[in-house]
Amino acid sequence: MIPETYKPVPSTHLTEDQFSELLTGAAPPDGSVLSMAEEHVLHCEQCAAELDSLRESLSLFREASTAYANEQLRRMPLVHVRVTQVHRPLLRPMLLAAAAALLLAAFVPMQMLLRSASPAPVQTVRHTLPAESVQRYAVESNEALLEDVRRATSSSVPDAMQALADPTAGVDLVQQNSSQRKD
Amino acid sequence: MAPEDIQTFPSGIAIGAQPCSTPLDDLENVVALYQPRVFRFLLANLRDRDAAETLTQETFLRAWTARSSFREDCSVGTWLIRIALNLARDHTRTGRFRFWKNIASHAVDVADVAASVPSAEVSSETRLIAQQQVAHIWETVANLSHRQRTVFLLRFLEEMDIPEIAEATGLPLGTVKSHLYRALNVIRARHAVPEKEDR
Repeated sequence: MIPETYKPVPSTHLTEDQFSELLTGAAPPDGSVLSMAEEHVLHCEQCAAELDSLRESLSLFREASTAYANEQLRRMPLVHVRVTQVHRPLLRPMLLAAAAALLLAAFVPMQMLLRSASPAPVQTVRHTLPAESVQRYAVESNEALLEDVRRATSSSVPDAMQALADPTAGVDLVQQNSSQRKD
Repeated sequence: MAPEDIQTFPSGIAIGAQPCSTPLDDLENVVALYQPRVFRFLLANLRDRDAAETLTQETFLRAWTARSSFREDCSVGTWLIRIALNLARDHTRTGRFRFWKNIASHAVDVADVAASVPSAEVSSETRLIAQQQVAHIWETVANLSHRQRTVFLLRFLEEMDIPEIAEATGLPLGTVKSHLYRALNVIRARHAVPEKEDR
């Protein structure tokens, strides 16, 4: 007959995976493994103590981290801004139109500025004359030129009414002669 | 145009309205419900109050702007944690985070966390032991790898079950379990050391 206080002493302790399974509560596909681990903890004081200690530490870690985070969250300067949430189905076309207008407003003055900055093309005015008159004018001018040349070469003696080339060229000489005479 | 609805937001959140019906439309309630949870997770994960605060607001901003893509295949809380996780991961990848982590001017002090142990009617000695236990786990968690820490915090701080963690992290169930078990092994090994030292 087995006494009630008898506890079977396990020969081996929990493996790392069994320990993790018990801590996470993740049931393996074969549930018997977890039940074996649970069964072991019931009879192994060492494993039970370690498991309890770790569970307690993890629980404290969670409580302390949560309390600390909540405290920090309370200190966070959460300035609330009122934001109006309006459904605007026409918002996008309006934005596109505004962008196009803006682009146009920037483009037109720029083009005007570029035009004023570029040098104006030289405007050549051509007086177009009829071909006959041009030809006549050329013949007349040639004849006149020939006539002038002919006259210049033929007149060795100036005409009676022709002006002297330089009427005052001999003035200084005349005055000098007269002053010599006075002396 | 008359406003149809007026809501309040934490400062810094600029929103644009979208005419659709999702559980996130009532943002005031969503923030009130989930802000402590998101902030607590980010604070424990990043150990930086300013970063946790900024990323908490960013989480709700992202959730609001992308609310039309919320297909309700998971709970709002899990979806928000998923957004927070992505933001935390992007944040820790930047060089800026590493720089500030080194300076640690606004990092969480372990002593402050340990001092936050709820003051039940216990003796000062018991309270001191509890504070030591908390400080020890807090420090051990800080040294875990990013994935192990994330999975551990989701399970033991946020009390999410393993399928939920898998949903939030996008990891397969087996991977979540293996990261969780490894984290617990590290914590268990280090947890045993001070007890032996005390004896």
